[in-house]
Amino acid sequence: MKHMRALNKKAARIDNYVASRNEDVVAMQDHGPQRPHVPMGCALMFSPGWEVDAAGGTAGLCQPVERDIYDCFVSCYWPAQVPDHLNNATDWTAKCATATKDWRNLDIIFP
Amino acid sequence: MIWRLALGITAFAALATPGTLYLPAYPASILVFDEDKAEVVDKIPLTTGIPMGIRLSPDHKRLYITTIDHNGIEVIDVATRKVINHFVLNTPNKQYRIFSGTADPGGKFYYAVTKEITQFPEHFEVSKPKYTLIDLEQQKIVKTVEITKEEEALNQGDWGVGALEISPDGKLLYQFGDKITILQASDFKVLDHIDLARPDTAGMENIRYGGDLDLINEPGEHTAMFVSSDPIVHNHLFGLARFDLSTRRMDFNPIGPAPQGMAGLEVTPDKKTAYTVVSTGIHGTKRCEFWTFDLASDRITQKAEVPCRTRFTLGISANGKKLYIYGAGFEIEVYDAATLKYEKTWDLGTDITYAGIAVLP
Repeated sequence: MKHMRALNKKAARIDNYVASRNEDVVAMQDHGPQRPHVPMGCALMFSPGWEVDAAGGTAGLCQPVERDIYDCFVSCYWPAQVPDHLNNATDWTAKCATATKDWRNLDIIFP
Repeated sequence: MIWRLALGITAFAALATPGTLYLPAYPASILVFDEDKAEVVDKIPLTTGIPMGIRLSPDHKRLYITTIDHNGIEVIDVATRKVINHFVLNTPNKQYRIFSGTADPGGKFYYAVTKEITQFPEHFEVSKPKYTLIDLEQQKIVKTVEITKEEEALNQGDWGVGALEISPDGKLLYQFGDKITILQASDFKVLDHIDLARPDTAGMENIRYGGDLDLINEPGEHTAMFVSSDPIVHNHLFGLARFDLSTRRMDFNPIGPAPQGMAGLEVTPDKKTAYTVVSTGIHGTKRCEFWTFDLASDRITQKAEVPCRTRFTLGISANGKKLYIYGAGFEIEVYDAATLKYEKTWDLGTDITYAGIAVLP
């Protein structure tokens, strides 16, 4: 709708309101379409399992779920209960090349 | 367009035989996979951590790997399969996240968008993404430049950073997103914009930064999939575009209406045929199809349903005869490009990252 512009004060206020929704800092549940509120962060998600998908469920996860574990670890691809790659467990994957087969080699991380 | 395709046939005739795949893998290596033998023939160890990005130099002689553990860069000589340069950007109280990047034609600098994370006694501060110049010989960041408000949309960090390319003379940088931003390489000053949209990201699987179509790029050319829309009803069309990095000339070759989600576009070495995986629906209702395009007539010539992985990347063999579906795991599923039928699964023995792959003859 770039070809439309506000002609009166009320329309300008609507424009300003829409622009304010694109500010850098927004409440997490106030961003985008209404969806289940899933706390972000790799180590913050404890329910329903170690990992949920973007919709708050498990239907969107890889099969088997071990396929997801490393991408959750390094990038929080899905919110998941995995160690903190950024600061405390950078080399968590060092002893395990294939999570689906060798997951028993992954170290247990204690806070 | 057709004469360009004809040139491509000659230029890439050498690619008729199977080639070599370079796959970034956990915990810290690049797998070298021989397509003919169907096995991992070498493993290039990395010292700076998990590889999260792979870029092929324009002359196809070097691979630039970005790693995430300590935010490093490693340069691999393709001929010897050896790491010839490696370093990390992190310092004791600063971490950096490297997003989109490209090396200059001489291999001296690496231009990137980075985010700086500074550790204070009781908290971290995360900066906005900045244009960053990394000196590969000095092995450090030598310049950062604030990104203007107008360019912030192209540089959101994580998945939201447009791919960077550099002109053959090393003087201009191009950033590809909803528009093409032209920057002066010496100081990242924005010189101009070209309006053109990148593929819609909603519903798409892994989008790799950079190298999707590296193999078919002519020197000084950026080839990628683009989406354009008209200004009235915003009807989205997707197609193949070639952007001349020297003359800023764009060839846009529309193919058809843009579907809900497309897992990249892979083009055969002779540039006659392209493939994509189109997905519709999400989660339980998700459905995926291979689409084959004849690039001479810009028509879809074949479709076939393919099982949907939740996350995957589409790849193509060096000779264009096989299609690969890989990512989120340790396997590559191989499909025959002519029939779109499943053939076999290669077990790599190692999980690969979502950095993408480099395919070389």
